[in-house]
Amino acid sequence: MADQVLTMPGVAATAVQTGEVALRTIHLTKQYGQRLAVNDLSLEVKQGEIFGFLGPNGAGKTTTIRMALGLISPTSGSVEILGKNVVTQRAQVLPRVGALIETPALYLYLSGRNNLRAVGSALGGVPEARIDEVLELVGLAGRQKDRVKTYSLGMKQRLGIAIALLQDPDVLILDEPTNGMDPAGIVEMRDLMHRLASEGKTVFISSHLLTEVQQICTRVAIISLGKLITESSIAELTKGQGEFRVNVEQAREALALVKAQPWGESASLDSENALITRAPENSGRALNLFLSQAGYVPETLERPVQDLEQVFLNLTNSGSGDVK
Amino acid sequence: MSTAMTSSALAEKTTHVRAAKPSFFGLVGGELFKIRRQWTTWIMLILFMGITFAPYLIMFLESNIKDVITAPGGDYAYSRVAAGLALVRIFGGFFILILTARTIGQEYQLGTIRIVLARGVGRVQLLLAKLTAIVLWAVVLMVIGLALNALWALLQVQIVTGSLSAITGLSSTVWHDLGIYVLTILVSMGVTILMATSITVLFRSMAGGLSASIAWFPVDNILGLILTIAFALTRNDFWKNVSAYLLGPNLNVMAGAVANIRHGAWAFGTGPLVTVDGTHTLFVSAVYAVIFAVVAIGLTWKRDVKE
Repeated sequence: MADQVLTMPGVAATAVQTGEVALRTIHLTKQYGQRLAVNDLSLEVKQGEIFGFLGPNGAGKTTTIRMALGLISPTSGSVEILGKNVVTQRAQVLPRVGALIETPALYLYLSGRNNLRAVGSALGGVPEARIDEVLELVGLAGRQKDRVKTYSLGMKQRLGIAIALLQDPDVLILDEPTNGMDPAGIVEMRDLMHRLASEGKTVFISSHLLTEVQQICTRVAIISLGKLITESSIAELTKGQGEFRVNVEQAREALALVKAQPWGESASLDSENALITRAPENSGRALNLFLSQAGYVPETLERPVQDLEQVFLNLTNSGSGDVK
Repeated sequence: MSTAMTSSALAEKTTHVRAAKPSFFGLVGGELFKIRRQWTTWIMLILFMGITFAPYLIMFLESNIKDVITAPGGDYAYSRVAAGLALVRIFGGFFILILTARTIGQEYQLGTIRIVLARGVGRVQLLLAKLTAIVLWAVVLMVIGLALNALWALLQVQIVTGSLSAITGLSSTVWHDLGIYVLTILVSMGVTILMATSITVLFRSMAGGLSASIAWFPVDNILGLILTIAFALTRNDFWKNVSAYLLGPNLNVMAGAVANIRHGAWAFGTGPLVTVDGTHTLFVSAVYAVIFAVVAIGLTWKRDVKE
């Protein structure tokens, strides 16, 4: 993608979050026969937020996104974007939303530029300068005249994002936006997301790339079998559960000592022979003092931060390997 | 100063883009743009134009063509020009049928319907915009077909007789009857568009819509044959009467039935097994048109978009 979006140090910190709700699902439910694809899902995404929407395959992510875009009618419940109902006020609200849903859907017989013209015509046409702008933004200016059927998957993905950005939307809904992109493209995409958020846009991302989500998003929702499992900030979700990881010599002896304490009954050793334990008064300083006074001076003492992937697998009980 | 102007222009441009709402005429423009950017459209148009010349070429080989042209009562117009118009109806119908199935089916097949609808465009609004674009193409096709037929006829008359008096001397009755023929072609095209639309919407795929739409009229004609056999076996008029309600046979005889002319070129293809009048053919076509329209709009309106 273009240079202007490649170098954006610290942009995440400048994201404009107004606290107003950009996207809200209210008891959203979709039933196909006996199967509940989405089950009473209530979510709130704030303006200026980069929100991750996670779940194993078949969890109901794409169904939710399709309902948010008015492509599928909910069985019950509703979706509001920028305070407007997407079913009853779709013509007012959806032009303010840019979307990339699953694989990019494109007119293969048209050039990249003509795809943007064709889609832009739905809203009465888009100035050529704006088309230049988005092509530059996604790094396709050099291939804009080539037919899309000659594009690689990553290029199609970029064009799909250009289409999503065409109307300068306030809310972006992206389903697997980095699908098919090379590592450089993924980094560029991450920077683009941060830049858009810094401009006050709300970005709603559904992805299987949990490491990417962990780096890009401020908050996430995890769903499984159509139901919301958790909705939380990344920091809250990945922080340790009140335990500490201590590297110490004679770890087994230290473990025996700690397990004898009322606060340390659940202590254990991890695979690297480090002591995992709660602390007296839940204080790292107190734990350090206790071990030092007992003759087991810690080499390191830290609160373990959980990987989002591990959290995801724990919450969804999914070992199916559909996350990367 | 220039910076200020640039900023102002940029702001204006951004405001314009951000204030945009779904526009029906924008959608129609987009559909026309997509249609004219496909090679298939232009290849079909060239084939169509070439086919309009075929009957006149064959007529040149007739030994008595000069007698036919100069015969009183407009025999040339009722037989030869009408044959040219019959080809416009048949091949124009094929063209428009393929165009309809492609224009609607491709959107489902490529999945692009979701990016258009996700911009706030209504499902029925999009379908109507597509139909408008197809109708505009049908009108253009009709104009081209008529213009080429007129051109070939004038050339033929001029070459064979050395003057255009055989055309310029045609009575107002002949022109009136030819006008009715043209109107029945428009009715035929309209019903064909709605038929291809409803089938493609039902299948939600270009391949399915195209093959089922193309198969419709041959199946209709084969049904006529089956009904003939059924009548021969049972001697029950019911089978003959059923054939009066088949779309294809009614369209085949519509021009002759409406203008009340019994000439080969005015009842091109297999007709119903019983005699039908113009009102009947128009009524049957209207009923089919309404059914096709209701199916197309109803399915588009009610069904979720999962493409």
